[in-house]
Amino acid sequence: MHHDHGIHLRAVCKTFRGRGADVEALRDMNLDCAPGSFTALIGPSGCGKSTAMRIALGLEDYDSGDVRIAGQPPAAATAAGVTGVAFQDAALLPWRTVARNIALPLEVLGRDPAKYGHEIAKLIELVGLKGYENSLPGQLSGGMRQRVSIARSLITGPEVLFMDEPFGALDQIRRRQMNVELQRIWLESESTALLVTHGIDEAVFLADYVVVMHANPGRVIDIIEIPFERPRRNELYSAPEFHALCDKVAMVLHGE
Amino acid sequence: MANRARFLRTATARNLLILVLVWELVGRMDWIAGGALPGLSEILIRLWVDRGDYPSHIWATVHASILGFLIGNAVAVGAGVLFVLFPTLLRLTRGFNIAVFALPPIAIAPILVLTLSGMAPRITLAALGVYFVTMSATVVGLSQFDSRAADVVRAYGGKDWQVMRLVRLRGAVPDILSGLRIAAPNAVLGAILAEFGGGGRWGLGTYLLGSLGRGEPARLWGIGLVATLIAGLSYLVFAIISARTLGSTRSVTLNTAIPDAGGGTPGPLPVRLAIFAGAALLPFVLWWAFIRLSGVPDLIAKTPLGVVEYLFLSDTSHIARGKLLSALAETLPITAIGMIAGLGFAFLLAISARMFPGFIKTFMPVALVTQTMPLVALTPLLVLMLGRGTSVTLWITISVTFFPAFVLLVQGIQRVPQTVLDLPRAYGASAWKELRMVSIPAALPYLFAATRLTVPRALLGVMIAEWLATGTGLGNLLNQSRGYLDYGMIWTVAAVSVCLSVAFYYAILLIERRTLTRLGMQTVE
Ligand SMILES: Nc1ncnc2c1ncn2[C@@H]1O[C@H](COP(=O)(O)OP(=O)(O)O)[C@@H](O)[C@H]1O
Ligand SMILES: [Mg+2]
Repeated sequence: MHHDHGIHLRAVCKTFRGRGADVEALRDMNLDCAPGSFTALIGPSGCGKSTAMRIALGLEDYDSGDVRIAGQPPAAATAAGVTGVAFQDAALLPWRTVARNIALPLEVLGRDPAKYGHEIAKLIELVGLKGYENSLPGQLSGGMRQRVSIARSLITGPEVLFMDEPFGALDQIRRRQMNVELQRIWLESESTALLVTHGIDEAVFLADYVVVMHANPGRVIDIIEIPFERPRRNELYSAPEFHALCDKVAMVLHGE
Repeated sequence: MANRARFLRTATARNLLILVLVWELVGRMDWIAGGALPGLSEILIRLWVDRGDYPSHIWATVHASILGFLIGNAVAVGAGVLFVLFPTLLRLTRGFNIAVFALPPIAIAPILVLTLSGMAPRITLAALGVYFVTMSATVVGLSQFDSRAADVVRAYGGKDWQVMRLVRLRGAVPDILSGLRIAAPNAVLGAILAEFGGGGRWGLGTYLLGSLGRGEPARLWGIGLVATLIAGLSYLVFAIISARTLGSTRSVTLNTAIPDAGGGTPGPLPVRLAIFAGAALLPFVLWWAFIRLSGVPDLIAKTPLGVVEYLFLSDTSHIARGKLLSALAETLPITAIGMIAGLGFAFLLAISARMFPGFIKTFMPVALVTQTMPLVALTPLLVLMLGRGTSVTLWITISVTFFPAFVLLVQGIQRVPQTVLDLPRAYGASAWKELRMVSIPAALPYLFAATRLTVPRALLGVMIAEWLATGTGLGNLLNQSRGYLDYGMIWTVAAVSVCLSVAFYYAILLIERRTLTRLGMQTVE
């Protein structure tokens, strides 16, 4: 099963050794995201969600366990351009235009951005920023910047997509709009997606599986399957089944 | 808000006009030191009369400044990048960097003239003047990059050099530019001071010195005005460029990520000791290597060992030591008194800023302008006005410490949020109590920073005054030794003044750390 384009964390442990206190961020963390599935990772703040994702991206070492991204170790997978990533903050380079920000991963991977002109234009259209190709991040609103970062995460045509609270900085209304758009984009890309979030409704709306974590030490408590049909629409937010599942996630989350 | 700004601007313009008128009146009436301060119109007329002389002098100074500026900054930016990539290198070169920062340029001008030829001494001194400022600005700029953007690059397998190229270098541009802004007048100052040190027929410094003995105040003032204008213009150019680039570089949101704590792991004790020893030795090794490479004969160029021999091992050592010690006994007290007076005055004025906001607002632009003036290069003007006694030394020291300290302190206090300043008042505290509880503690870290910053300047100011005017102390010893071709003494004075400057710097740093740690405050750079 190690040769699919899924995400697999097996018994991963990670302790931050700082000055003074050590923080056990993850203990025996297990996570399996099947190829083409959408998984939401949810938990109280500080439970190790970001750490798990950073380990999967090769941004952080881990003490023990095994990590496979599309069948490869994290460093190999990211260097091969298999992954895409969007962080909580858009993290755009302020001196680059929208188009050139989207091209950044290509430059890092040593690909020629000039050959991707068509893809970049298509992604800009996909995230609804047509006409803003040559704007600087400082000229965009928070939501628009976040969409640039989503477009950037898709430019390499990733088989595995990581998102760490990509809409954390947006208000509730914009967030719901973005959730609908994200679902549409992801459905077209056919990638494996891992979304870190602390919004229960967001997790239930978007995911096939909601993985709930607890803190101290960070670990997976439960996995809840979300059976709703796709594409899911805004009406779902007011459906009773939706609320029932949200309540279930909340109960697990709060340890009942 | 716009109204206020306009009011301020008209107020500043009005004060400037009053200043010029008073200047003109005082100058015309020859009220100061029998005409040592001519009226502005007299200076301008003299400038016009001398207009044939200026182009060659200006060109010589500007030429050396520009070359020194380019070379010094290229080295500084390169060094900054290396230091950030290899922090150990930064620790290893700490002694060298501090020495470059703290060295009084006038002290090494003679040895540069001895070992190098043609324009090289001026270019070197100009380059040394810009190196430290730009290097620190580069290191700060490269260190304060957006870690989230770096994560994006690393998340695609990007290596350190890719993060450097794609995120850090461009992000450091505003910091480097603001470094260049401060460095530019330094280059002009360095070139002029090297001209004081001798060699060459052309240059504003040469012109200034040559005119000092001729008793032509209007010409001296004209030269001072031109030198100030050149330095000010160089500052302005980079101020404009940096204002233009700033907008597109600032991160649009606040980075809330935990800063990387593992940044500079010092390693085990033996390694730390080795690095420390290396840092202390490196300046001397470079000194030695510089002499070996320049190929100047041993008689003229002294290595560190040569200086030790001169001071302690030769037959005439006791005479040399005696001269040096009596010069130090003259120089150090006056430097200390001048610094304390300048800093104290700046401190008092800055903390009382809250009580006389109007005065500060009109005075601040004047203080800021002096920041770009090659103050110490204008020493001949003060000599002209105050004569050749000790008072001129004192005034020079006070003026070169007062202005930078005042600007730093006022800007420091301005960083305290208004709400914090208002809090004591809201509880009915008296003005004095408010001063004691808020303004003074807020200004303290900046007072220390200002002290560190002004030690080398104070020493430089005193030495120049001694060299040009009073005929006492280290500056005079240096000048005399040039006349007597006493090479050992020239090198000794240079080495001793640099070492003293560095020692003072560290002494203040130590006191600063102790005091601020006890008060639970942070040092400022
Ligand atoms: N670089 C780091 N150094 C030290 N501790 C860290 C670091 N990154 C995260 N931690 C700690 O690890 C724990 C998990 O953090 P994180 O994964 O960011 O949580 P989450 O994303 O779920 O809010 C927290 O207690 C946090 O303080
Ligand atoms: Mg997080």
